[in-house]
Amino acid sequence: MGFSFYQLFAIAVGYLLFLFLVAWITDRGYLPARLVRHPVVYVLSLGVFCSAWAIYGSVGYAHQYGYNYVAYFLGISGAFLLAPILLAPILRLTTTYQLGSLADLFAFRFRSRAAGALTTLIMLASMLPLLSLQIKAVAESMEVLSGAPEPMNIAAWFCGLITLFAILFGARHATAREKHEGLVVAIATESLIKLLAFGAVALIGLFDVFDGPAGLSAWLEQHPEMLARLYFPLQDGTWHSLVLAFFVSAVVMPHMFYMAFTENLNPRALITASWGLPLLLLGMAICVPIILWAALHEQVATPADYFTLGLSHNFGGNGAVLAYIAGLAGASGMLIVATLALSAMCLHHFVLPLRRPQPGEDLYQWLLWARRILIGVILALAYVFYAWTGHRHTLTELGVLSFVATLQFVPGLVGTLFWPMANRFGLFAGLMVGFTIWMLTLVIPTITPGWQFTPLLELLDIRFADPASIWHTIALFSVGANGVVFVLVSLFTPTSPAEQGAAEACAVDSLRRPYRWELEANDVDDFIQSLGDPLGAVTAQREVDLALRDLNLSRSETRPYALRRLRDQLETNLSGLLGPSVAHQMVDDHLPYKPQGEEETSEDIQFIESRLEQYRNRLSGLAAELDSLRRFHRQTLLELPMGVVSLGQDGEIIGWNLAMETLTGISGRRMVGSRLANLPQPWRALFLEFAMGDISRIPQQQIQVDGESRWLSLHKSVIHGSLDGERDAGQVIVVEDITDLRALESRLAHNERLASIGRLAAGVAHEIGNPVTAIACLTQNLAHGSDEELNQNADQILAQTRRISRIVESLVTFSHSGGHSPSEEVPVAVHDVADEAIALLRLDPDRKQQAFDNGIATGIEVRGDPQRLLQVFVNLLTNASDATDNSDPICLQASTDSDVVTITVEDRGHGIRRELQDTLFEPFVTSKPPGKGTGLGLALVYSIIEDHHGSIQVDSPIVHDRGTRFTLKLPRYRQSTQVQS
Amino acid sequence: MYTDRLLIIFILGTYLLSPVIIEWWSDGGQAWFRPFLVWLFLIGLSYWIARSRDFDGF
Repeated sequence: MGFSFYQLFAIAVGYLLFLFLVAWITDRGYLPARLVRHPVVYVLSLGVFCSAWAIYGSVGYAHQYGYNYVAYFLGISGAFLLAPILLAPILRLTTTYQLGSLADLFAFRFRSRAAGALTTLIMLASMLPLLSLQIKAVAESMEVLSGAPEPMNIAAWFCGLITLFAILFGARHATAREKHEGLVVAIATESLIKLLAFGAVALIGLFDVFDGPAGLSAWLEQHPEMLARLYFPLQDGTWHSLVLAFFVSAVVMPHMFYMAFTENLNPRALITASWGLPLLLLGMAICVPIILWAALHEQVATPADYFTLGLSHNFGGNGAVLAYIAGLAGASGMLIVATLALSAMCLHHFVLPLRRPQPGEDLYQWLLWARRILIGVILALAYVFYAWTGHRHTLTELGVLSFVATLQFVPGLVGTLFWPMANRFGLFAGLMVGFTIWMLTLVIPTITPGWQFTPLLELLDIRFADPASIWHTIALFSVGANGVVFVLVSLFTPTSPAEQGAAEACAVDSLRRPYRWELEANDVDDFIQSLGDPLGAVTAQREVDLALRDLNLSRSETRPYALRRLRDQLETNLSGLLGPSVAHQMVDDHLPYKPQGEEETSEDIQFIESRLEQYRNRLSGLAAELDSLRRFHRQTLLELPMGVVSLGQDGEIIGWNLAMETLTGISGRRMVGSRLANLPQPWRALFLEFAMGDISRIPQQQIQVDGESRWLSLHKSVIHGSLDGERDAGQVIVVEDITDLRALESRLAHNERLASIGRLAAGVAHEIGNPVTAIACLTQNLAHGSDEELNQNADQILAQTRRISRIVESLVTFSHSGGHSPSEEVPVAVHDVADEAIALLRLDPDRKQQAFDNGIATGIEVRGDPQRLLQVFVNLLTNASDATDNSDPICLQASTDSDVVTITVEDRGHGIRRELQDTLFEPFVTSKPPGKGTGLGLALVYSIIEDHHGSIQVDSPIVHDRGTRFTLKLPRYRQSTQVQS
Repeated sequence: MYTDRLLIIFILGTYLLSPVIIEWWSDGGQAWFRPFLVWLFLIGLSYWIARSRDFDGF
């Protein structure tokens, strides 16, 4: 028809080189990441579904089966219209657990290596006809355009080029977590080319053949049989089977799974695809009848399957090239992606379970090369199938073979998502039954003309017929039998606990409730060492580091909770690398849990909580209300002003609230998931002893934290009933910091003691004062006698009575000092009061001449009674002077802040013994020799300062084991304060 | 979280209504593009739902 094979082959090579260029540009980063990750690119990449069958076969199918062809486009559109409900859970699963294919999903869900291998085997067998369909379409399109039989080696060369592309741009990364952006953009470009080229052919038909829509309508009116041929097959009952087959192909077809889930660069783009892909497919589907009618109108000489080519060729060479490129795009995209998907499945489920690289080998390179070889092998198989039998069958026959086979995965998929009771035995039995029916009733009769599996056809009451015409009955029967066997076997066979766990992880709307088991490994280094055996030291370290980075954990992590999460993440990452079966086996073998009894395990509460937090936005109705309630209670506990520590039954710390963080200075993030034994001292000893002990309450417990004494009150209670409602879940410890309360109690007791002593002192002074006065008077009389000796004795008695009087006077002063507010509160200039006190001391002739240094700035004022504050200074300076035995001056300083004046009185005397300091402000406590002091001076100072709402503190020694510093804090006088008060 | 029930109801409903839909479709006569209009309407509906709801599950 005007083109030579070499021209056509050159166009194919040129087109594939263009794809190479697109992928290379993307991989080199020349395209902006925003564009590469744009939802439209994702939607277009899903157009890989439109293989060569969509370009060529759909027109032939419409010619033979009328509007049933729409099922091909509408079925998968339905699946994507329901994407938020149907496909989003699968995307979450594949992303969370790094599952790259349906075989990975089944192997993970059914915790079975055999499930993955069987799925891979059936998938490979199912896809060979569809792969050979693509090769056939390309080869036959060349035949149609050249008008001569196609030499077989052209198809082989085409397969070779596809293999090269798949290896170069589809097998660059060993792990599923790293996406092939170049491949995604190339496939999206292909879809755009398909859509534009197919649309262009339809436009040629509409405007060149019919002169526009009006012409088409007029022609259809003249030829009502054309519409009747389109409508009539809708009544033949195949519609349902077709829609079902293409509905599920969104997930079960490996190339769709690969582009929709494995190579998904932007999960949210799935939402755009929910309307974007149906729109793309609508654009393709509406072109089909127009091309068909135009070809019939023009009486195109090609077979109906190639009307697209024939029609465009009738209207000039360029149109034919356009249709040819559309077919090439459909075939190459599907071949590349399906081969990549199948190679990953074969690697994970055939190769790696049998042979793994030695620990010394580079695992990543080994995996890449294994995958590249598998790509070549699969494409070679597809070519062999095409050369052996594929080239003898129509595109529809080949397509039907594949689509019916992939339907066999529907029961397993539904069970994975919606039925946690499904098990591996059910899956094996169901798949085997469905696969066998498919082989006996469709595959063998198709490749062996004239052979029929008569017993089954009799059972179904089907007469001997061409497999392609009875396929829908067989499809429904095989899937039905598969589903029934799957359910029955699952119901009557046991399900392993591991499978149940995976079932909960996979089930839609189910929250996995993992148990807390303790790992043999104690830290991250143990992980690296354990995984070094199967992976090699370098790979093990790299994978552990990667998992730590994923979890945002540090290498020093030892918390059991964090180590469990690390184990899970490693299994997930290794699953993306080696497949779920091998990864699970490897992690089970090399990172085992400690043997534990059933009663020793408990739910991993914090993991459940973290999952609930992730799922929060997906909750609605009652579940959302309950979650709000949970959050409220959690927040209440978190912000409770008392420290709360929740412990699991195994002693793991489940909760550590904000008050505990404040009290201990240890963050909850560090402690949750750890154990009490990991706490620093003194908390470790305190909590361990209390948690293990029998007593449930310690009213007062003193501990030393950073050199400071803290008083705590501890309570504990058993948490009855775990989430499964059978056992105790652990215990809760409530800690109250009562240090301030203790200090307050101490001050109250001190004040009370002072008051009692004051009352006692008043009574004693009164009772002693009168007799002493009488004695003094009488002695005065005696002292003026003539007897010298008597006079001397009388003088001594007088001296002693004066001393008694001074003591009594002190007692009276003390008794009058406490328990009342200053009688007069006026501004008191601290500097002046200190000066006055110094002057008074200097007036005492018996006192040594002490140097004083009043460094208090003038203008500093406190609020209080000047006379009583004078007494404070006199007492303090007297004590300081008594303690000082050298010429060093006694220094007074003062500083202010907004509300408080701080005054210090400092000497360089002998200091105060430490054991005396705790009771220094008690009455009758003194460091002076007997007879020198009453021990009431500082008690009096304390009382006066208390009455002024201030405080006093003593530090001794201060320099070189000498000196004492009294620090007074008094309310600062401010005009506004005074006005307010 | 009743998505599975919603899905089952939708699929069953579509299945039960399919004979009516197909009959309506077959009676299209000259309006051969009828199913494509319904299809377009469903796409519009899906677009509207996708825009109006925030699928934070991702």
